[in-house]
Amino acid sequence: MSLVMRATLARAGVFMASFALVASACAASSTPSPAASSAAASTAPSGSAAPSASSSAAAGASATPAPLPSPGSSEIAAAKQYASTLGTNIGGSVTVLAQWSGSEQQQFLQMVQPFIDATGVQIKYTGTRDEPTVLQTAIAAGGASLPDIAGIPGPAQMQQFASSGTLQDLSSVIDMNTYQSQAPASLVQLGTVNGKLVGVFLDVSAKGQIWYDPKIVGDLASNPPASWTDFQNLIKQDTSKAQAPWCLAVESGAATGWPATDVVETFMLKTYGPDVYNQWWQGKLKWTSSQVKTAFQDLGQMVSESYGGANRIVTTNFANAGDPLFSTPPGCLFLHEASFITGLGAFANQTKITDYNFIPFPAINSQYQNAVEGAGDLFGMFKNTPQSAALMKYLVSAQAQALFVAPGEFLSANKGVANYPNPMNQRLAQILSGASSFVFDASDQMPTSMQNEFYKGLVNYIQNPSQLDSILSHLDSVQSSAYSQ
Amino acid sequence: MSELAVPAVRRKEGGSAWRGRLEHLATHVVVILLMAIWLIPTIGLLISSFRPSADVQSSGWWTFFFQPAQATLENYTYVLAQAGIGTGFINSLFISIPATVIPVFVAAFAAYAFAWMSFPGRNILFVVVVGLLVVPLQTTFIPILRLYGQIGIEGQFLAVWLAHTGYGLPFAVYLLRNFMGELPREVFESAAIDGASPVTSFFRLAIPMSVPAIAALVIFQFLFVWNDLLVSLIYIGAANPENDPLTISIASLVGNFGQGWWYLAAASFISMAVPLLVFFTLQRYFVRGIVGGSVKG
Repeated sequence: MSLVMRATLARAGVFMASFALVASACAASSTPSPAASSAAASTAPSGSAAPSASSSAAAGASATPAPLPSPGSSEIAAAKQYASTLGTNIGGSVTVLAQWSGSEQQQFLQMVQPFIDATGVQIKYTGTRDEPTVLQTAIAAGGASLPDIAGIPGPAQMQQFASSGTLQDLSSVIDMNTYQSQAPASLVQLGTVNGKLVGVFLDVSAKGQIWYDPKIVGDLASNPPASWTDFQNLIKQDTSKAQAPWCLAVESGAATGWPATDVVETFMLKTYGPDVYNQWWQGKLKWTSSQVKTAFQDLGQMVSESYGGANRIVTTNFANAGDPLFSTPPGCLFLHEASFITGLGAFANQTKITDYNFIPFPAINSQYQNAVEGAGDLFGMFKNTPQSAALMKYLVSAQAQALFVAPGEFLSANKGVANYPNPMNQRLAQILSGASSFVFDASDQMPTSMQNEFYKGLVNYIQNPSQLDSILSHLDSVQSSAYSQ
Repeated sequence: MSELAVPAVRRKEGGSAWRGRLEHLATHVVVILLMAIWLIPTIGLLISSFRPSADVQSSGWWTFFFQPAQATLENYTYVLAQAGIGTGFINSLFISIPATVIPVFVAAFAAYAFAWMSFPGRNILFVVVVGLLVVPLQTTFIPILRLYGQIGIEGQFLAVWLAHTGYGLPFAVYLLRNFMGELPREVFESAAIDGASPVTSFFRLAIPMSVPAIAALVIFQFLFVWNDLLVSLIYIGAANPENDPLTISIASLVGNFGQGWWYLAAASFISMAVPLLVFFTLQRYFVRGIVGGSVKG
């Protein structure tokens, strides 16, 4: 599942330090809100623009924040040209609330700058990882303080917001024909509730990729193993090159366990295909069914072959899952993660393609070889004003999306975007646009109670593989109540 | 005999002095130990703020002592270069000062009334105010935001001022009422005999004598508001990002997946500068007792 670890500890530290000064009477003030789970998937900052020295060298080089790579001037001009067709003198302002903060926020603002220049509309942007809390509160309070446009935490919340009538119908705002021709059909369908388009994806990530260091295992990307069996043979062959075949880490604060859901989901999709996959998250397939059980056992196999064993898996933050790939000698050969891992942990300090590369998950059942699981950031419109309508049109356009992918961190949901900044991103984008079927992260679409138990069940299973049957039957009992609420 | 007795006495005296010193030493050791435990997280944070981000991610702050040459200011320069930090700082001041002054002022009036004026229902009213201490402020977000929406002040500074006044008042009234209640009755009686009205007694006697409590309260309330993230995020965040305080700017240094958390140590020390200043400026009022000497004879 896609969510989002929050460096809660680090954040708590900020405030802790200041109230350590005086007695703890002010403790209540800054309690980080319980960050609801959210489906955000974005590729994160890759500092890879500046190739870093090996880890033993002075850390200064890699630590200096690299300036954001800028899009080409022709792309900026094209975006500005498109924005000016939306109205050159609109004026006013539009408020945007999203989960993108840090360098993601800078990239978003970089994307909308030509819009601001062309239309004269001011964009008031807030990026906070507590966005789900803010949105839920604002909606519950009647909607007066809602932003004009906001990121939506996930498909489940979108359904809820849409059915309460707070999300605007976008089909009258954006050009539907263009949008449908440029966005994958499954994403259009995911954003549609009761026949109304209420959510659009401004970025996507491709899950189920296998990352490796080409200096250790060779250039697999240009000659990927044809099947899961071939891949297993490859692992056997290379087994002496690292301490363990796999890396895995699932710690993520309150959402600990989600990275393992992605592994189970990949096995479900690649073995049984999108239909069974969809039945599963919809609650129509039992957890104790042979399919789900097999997928869990496949994960169990990976766990047993993982670097550091169960203890490392559950106590290491997912962002650092792949760090042993780059240690000397290597701790592991392969890491299963989504495309956004390239900005996290040790990946952020390595160079794409020369230091690391990826292969798509090999086909287990050749029929589902090109089925892809992904996630992405949904956006919706809460207030229909001339400014917000113009911005919405701009955001989904290929011209704006081209600016968004230029720094090399995001992948676009728009098939019209072709100019990715490096061959790796290009290949990821092709996997998404060439998918025979695209499914959204299963755990993100489950009811919250089901999702949480799924996380916990996986953590439990990683630590106690022998209890698989009781874990699955517990998930069955949760399933029988979670979907009826 | 006497030759034997003298050393015995000496030994006894020497023993008790020695024991006294030992107890003294033990107290000091315990106090220093507790202080160290209390300070360790802050020291760790301070050290982390000067370490290169690659090191912060790969090893604990204590390893800094083995390689102090790596100290760097890059985290600070990065944080200060971020758009929004400057505005956030000004906004935080703009939020914190009124949101400290208003509740302390109102609470002082209320505390005086609760302590020295008799009116029907005084005790019940006081119990109700104190009872509000246990209401978690999170439960008030939705109704208050709805109210703000109706009167149209969401996203404005006024919204957070009022909210922080409400959240701060129960504790403020409680603290000041107890302090003012302890003031010597004779002072107020003498003033009343000399013809002072309650207003005069309040401004001329109660307030000056309560300065230590007021100073303490100002520190508490200021820190509460300055450090607040959630209240500002709810009442300002979505509706008007231009008014976002420093805490929101700092929180947004961290990316969606937690990347960039290593900047938080530096950011927190930038944010702490003002509370530190407030604390050390007002600290002396804790020590300077004004009550002492106010009653003669």
